[in-house]
Amino acid sequence: MNVPHSSTTAVFWDACKAGQLKLQHCQDCDKPFYYPRTACPSCGGTRLEWRQMKGTGTIYSFSHVHLALGGYKSWEAEVPFTLVQIQLDEGPRMLSRLVGKAEESVKIGDRVTVAFTEREGETLPYFRRTG
Amino acid sequence: MPKLNQDVVIVGTGETPVGRLHGVSGVEIQAWAVRNALADCGLTLRDVDGLVSQQPYNLPNSGYCLTVAEYLGLRIPYCATLDIAGTATSVGMLQQAAWAIETGHCEVAVCVHGENSVTGRPKDTHGFALQIFAGGEEFEAPFGPPSPPAHYALYAQRYMHEYGTRQEDFGAVAVAHRNHALLNDNAVMKKPITLEDYMASKPIASPFKLLDCSIPVDGGGAVVVMSGKRARKLGLKGIRMRSIVERVTHNAMVGGVAIDELGLEPAAKELMNSAGIGPEDIDVAVVHDAFTISVILMLETFGFAKRGEAGDYIRAGHASLGGKCPLNTHGGLLSQGHFGGFLHTLEIIRQLQGKCGRRQVEGARIGMVSGGGGIFAVTSGMIMEGPAQ
Ligand SMILES: [Zn+2]
Repeated sequence: MNVPHSSTTAVFWDACKAGQLKLQHCQDCDKPFYYPRTACPSCGGTRLEWRQMKGTGTIYSFSHVHLALGGYKSWEAEVPFTLVQIQLDEGPRMLSRLVGKAEESVKIGDRVTVAFTEREGETLPYFRRTG
Repeated sequence: MPKLNQDVVIVGTGETPVGRLHGVSGVEIQAWAVRNALADCGLTLRDVDGLVSQQPYNLPNSGYCLTVAEYLGLRIPYCATLDIAGTATSVGMLQQAAWAIETGHCEVAVCVHGENSVTGRPKDTHGFALQIFAGGEEFEAPFGPPSPPAHYALYAQRYMHEYGTRQEDFGAVAVAHRNHALLNDNAVMKKPITLEDYMASKPIASPFKLLDCSIPVDGGGAVVVMSGKRARKLGLKGIRMRSIVERVTHNAMVGGVAIDELGLEPAAKELMNSAGIGPEDIDVAVVHDAFTISVILMLETFGFAKRGEAGDYIRAGHASLGGKCPLNTHGGLLSQGHFGGFLHTLEIIRQLQGKCGRRQVEGARIGMVSGGGGIFAVTSGMIMEGPAQ
């Protein structure tokens, strides 16, 4: 990992450290978006503000990863896990991962909530299923 | 509608063996492919005044086209490196060559891609040097290994949800590709497979099993493009490019758009409209097939089959040799082997030249190439027309 953060993206990661899921919201077109950028991908606007999300959403798609193709040794102990696309209740979609091992019962539309997880010095916005 | 100059033609193709090319570097593979392509149409390096190269994904360097030009000893007026992404680049390279020729910057251009992505990968990486592949690392890498199968799988799972595609439909794609590869001496997969073999293959990233995934290989391919005037002078029968399109929506999975927002549908419409044809006019087609879902999506978006029915279409034999529109007759990335996607383009050219031997589509005159790159991030397409056979 160890991908460097820019001063813009660092705001997102710092919020995660503080236990908050914060996304940018464009004041020109009134839309939130993900991932953090210096301009809105919908309208190009640069009047952006950070807003805290509820941290809830639904599973948009998922994949149980059984094999960490590519000799990524550090992942081998963790498979099978579930990679997910989450549709946040506020609209934007995030790529993330479900907490814990893959479970066959996962399906599209399942409700989830953010579950911040410490890993390699970062706090990552994983998700867990609710109800 | 973008119009192409009708007086630029494709006259030659060359490929290297695919598989494990031990002891051969990326630039050596590209030079090998170029020599084969020139020999195919009776030209020499002295005839070449334009070069478009795609750099190897495993070990790229800046200014890669210059690396290839220097290696071949070319001193030429037009040279460019192009990397749109994946199999989309091969169509883009031909487009660059056509533009350079029709605007008079060169007269004979060679497009080439080749890489030793299996035997020549740097230590501790795999396949494509994947950090280069994705681009969305900061918001992807923390959640899983940079893994194209898992990311394509997210689209596949969603596609099944939206359109009712079943696991068996993916299996039909895998089997059809293998059957075609068995007719291609330059394919790495040599063993027939059945749907049962597919279902029993090991899980990789649900819904994908091993046989949903293409097989990485070393290899290279090159194409010679020239002005119609020069071709006529040399007495070469050329393949015409009737339309070329490209549609971009995102790059990595973190920016992935919904299925109905992908660029495939507008690209397909424009491709057909510009050429003034429909899917029923296409004699032979090649489509991106890094994973089985790509083929399902392409068949259903380009109008060969209705939504959710590509599996039935393939099981009915329509995509096989002898069917309505034979697809990926070389075996594709799934069963010939996967390095970039240039051999897709070569296959259509050769089908239209009538040079495909055991897997020749009889009387093939109109061919379609559709490439993809990123995670369904870009769709490119080309309609080609050959001389009547
Ligand atoms: Zn905006």
